[in-house]
Amino acid sequence: MQGSKNITINFIINDEIFNNITVPVRQHLGDFLRSIGLTGTHIGCEQGACGACTVELDGKAVRSCLILSSQINGSVIKTVEGLDDTLMKKVKEIFLKHNALQCGFCSSGMLITTKEILNKKKKLNREQIRTEISGNYCRCTGYQSIVDAIEEAIEDNIKDI
Amino acid sequence: MGKGGEEFIMKSPDFCYYEALSIEDAIKFKSNDLESVILAGGQSLVPALNMRLSSPSCLIDISKIKELKNITKDNDFIYIGSAVTHSEVMQNKIIIDHLPVLIDVLDMVAHPAIRNKGTHGGSIAYGDPAAELPAFAVAANAEIILMGLNGIRTIQASDFYHGLFETDIQNDEILTSIKYPILKDNQKILFDEIYRRHGDYAMAGVVANIEILNNEINNLKLVFFATGTKPEVALKTSELIIKDGYDYSNVKNMIKTELDFESDLNSNAEMKLHLATILTNKILKLMET
Repeated sequence: MQGSKNITINFIINDEIFNNITVPVRQHLGDFLRSIGLTGTHIGCEQGACGACTVELDGKAVRSCLILSSQINGSVIKTVEGLDDTLMKKVKEIFLKHNALQCGFCSSGMLITTKEILNKKKKLNREQIRTEISGNYCRCTGYQSIVDAIEEAIEDNIKDI
Repeated sequence: MGKGGEEFIMKSPDFCYYEALSIEDAIKFKSNDLESVILAGGQSLVPALNMRLSSPSCLIDISKIKELKNITKDNDFIYIGSAVTHSEVMQNKIIIDHLPVLIDVLDMVAHPAIRNKGTHGGSIAYGDPAAELPAFAVAANAEIILMGLNGIRTIQASDFYHGLFETDIQNDEILTSIKYPILKDNQKILFDEIYRRHGDYAMAGVVANIEILNNEINNLKLVFFATGTKPEVALKTSELIIKDGYDYSNVKNMIKTELDFESDLNSNAEMKLHLATILTNKILKLMET
């Protein structure tokens, strides 16, 4: 019985299947994603505080800097590059409409967090939206425009129910 | 910033990884390699690794062990498996029906993306003095269930914490579940904390276990966190409040005599003493509503 320094794993990222990929066990998922060219995921604080590196792991938002690559064996991952369904295309348009980004560093994390908020199919007031995105720092917008965008995205998403 | 791939600057130290297949398997590995540590959700451990505050020989991943992922209940107790995530606890029917205050507490534990991965047992075992769950377990009179080479051992949460990040877990032991007594009809647990940003570690926090008899407080157990090196029960302060009610100076003096305050990045010891006093009043007001 021995632990290993490298591990060979299988996973799916943005609908693409990766088989028998060998990664150093200490490399975190955010660095791994960037090493294979998926640089839409941004690495900020590497201690779970800023939220810039948020990606979707098995349908749930997680911090990619706090997940070791060795932990993703058998998982399905979605990054900002994979947000191309009708719903998320619309959400990106709404973000643009409200100028809910300036430098764009937080946007990939904000969009993944917004996706998780929309999954709940629940109307939230502005205070609740602020609580939901409290784990995502934005140093440009002052959050006002991001809250505007998420508010509209929620309205848009639940209007058909 | 590192480019990822081959280049590691300010990244976690080198360690090996072992995915445990069963509780016994994890215990065997841990007792053979005393420098190894348990990885459950990793939401406190991985930041510590990234900042190189910790350099274990090996991480033993217990997150895939099915027996650690259950929430069950009998007549008197609720058992939460150590590898159940915070999000899973918050959505669990047993918790919603029988321990809903835990959901309010977990709502203050970091942010949704961290709660999706962080585990109940991980937070209890890590013993961060500013974390909510260790204080909640102490206030709720929970018992910590550990499994080691010699079998199962149970310890009161109040005896489990020794000091800063120090717990009673032995080298060959793994925390398998936390056992919470189901609240009596006249009993409730209340919780409040003061923070700078929702989800950040508290500047100071309190969990109170209260029993009411004939509209009066019959029993009170105040537990403070983010004040010292571990969650601490304020017995004398609790007695003072039952006897005399709340008075800012009296409560502050009593808390000062019985608790050890330590400054941290969020606030200094004097500020924490003030906040602990104010929080005591807030809890008593909450009780009236």
